[in-house]
Amino acid sequence: MEQPSSRRPDEIESVFGLTLDVIHSALVSYYRLTEEEARGAEEDLYIWFQRLSRRGGAGHMPPKLLRISLLSAACQYGRSFQLWKLGGEAAADEELNEVLAREPDEVAVDLDRRFDRERS
Amino acid sequence: MSGRILPFRGRPLSSEAGLEAADRVLSTPLDERVTRARTLHLEDPETLLALCGILRERMGSAPASVLEEAEFLYRFIEAPKREIGLFDERDYFLGETAMLAGTACRCLSRREEAWIWFDRAEAGFRHTMNAPGELSRLAYQRLAERFEERQLDLVIELLPSLVESFQKLGMLEDALKCRFLEGLAHVEKDEPAAAVGVFNQICAEAEERGSDRLLAEAYVNLIHAHGMLGENEPAIEASRRAIPVLKQLDDRIALAKVHWGLAILLREGGHYGEAIDAYRKAQEEFEAIGMRADIAALNLVIADLLLEDGRNLEALREISEALPVISELKMAPEGMAALSLVRESARRQEINRQALRELHGYFQELQN
Repeated sequence: MEQPSSRRPDEIESVFGLTLDVIHSALVSYYRLTEEEARGAEEDLYIWFQRLSRRGGAGHMPPKLLRISLLSAACQYGRSFQLWKLGGEAAADEELNEVLAREPDEVAVDLDRRFDRERS
Repeated sequence: MSGRILPFRGRPLSSEAGLEAADRVLSTPLDERVTRARTLHLEDPETLLALCGILRERMGSAPASVLEEAEFLYRFIEAPKREIGLFDERDYFLGETAMLAGTACRCLSRREEAWIWFDRAEAGFRHTMNAPGELSRLAYQRLAERFEERQLDLVIELLPSLVESFQKLGMLEDALKCRFLEGLAHVEKDEPAAAVGVFNQICAEAEERGSDRLLAEAYVNLIHAHGMLGENEPAIEASRRAIPVLKQLDDRIALAKVHWGLAILLREGGHYGEAIDAYRKAQEEFEAIGMRADIAALNLVIADLLLEDGRNLEALREISEALPVISELKMAPEGMAALSLVRESARRQEINRQALRELHGYFQELQN
């Protein structure tokens, strides 16, 4: 039978805290959310991430994989929010259209590489 | 455009409040929960997270109750479609509750239902953010079910890929859990010495990882394997180590298996009367948690022992008790063939021992 996660809460705080700059920059620079919208997204992501770390499967995963899940959720949030704002129209900003055309998981992997580079 | 439009759903619960809410949910009768969903915080992800944790812990002591609770939660979340938590949380809880229900069905030998629940779990987990991890856990449950259906070759074929998935995901405890199936496959193939080797390795790794539950379950399997080899001392030592932990965890399935393992040991030593007593104790444990297939399997094992002891009429009675339960279960063709022979021989009151052994051999590993 499975055991619940024995992960410490401070480990989760640390993963989130270390990733926050990358998340903020992705939401604002890639997905063109306003600062206020990005802060709202980050609050939701924090609550969600705390619960993710206590799930049956994710509860046993190492920090790196948890971080990729977090970045993936951030990209999905940013993309969905911006698409909703555009209401089905293309953006005047070509770079934004390119980011929106990519899979959020793919963008998340790029962001994770960037995170690794910045930490090394 | 600024700000977000979010539905007002009341203040979200803390994890501590979620645990308290989960206790309140479980102490509320099932038929009152939906109407009281709001006051019970039944849609709050913290409540659901706590409920899933409690049900996981109860699997070894009360699988029938876990099935009832998990099915209720799945139906509650699924229809009418409810907004649960953030992002992928609704899908996760659908997957998790379905997997809990499927695992409980597996423990209770309700095979067809188990497969349906596992399909539902997959449908939920597919949409989650960390689908590979959740789907790998589900793949383990599916392999364990295949093992119980004696699809050994398929289990052995697929096991290394699953271990690799867990290792890539860094889920090392889950990878270790897969090795139980490897050890049990050796038991099933009548290779107890190889099984001892695997379970000893599991013990060493579980001890290093500080996983009491896996350690105790590995000891339980060591009792069986040493029992098959007629090795008294290591079997008794393994039971001495396993029992206190299992009692602490209230893992009644594993405790029943301890009695079963000791019975094998006694039988190998020629102590038939004491072996039957130990099998009866295992049956009592299984009875308390509704594991009917295991009780029936043990009726057949006891019948075999009684025949060995020349107690034919008592053996017939044991078989008669088991047959209706066994008929109710969906079995593979070789199991059905053995069942027909045993049924026919019981009718003639001249027991075909080879058929009986094939049938209880078929059931031997239902317990694992």
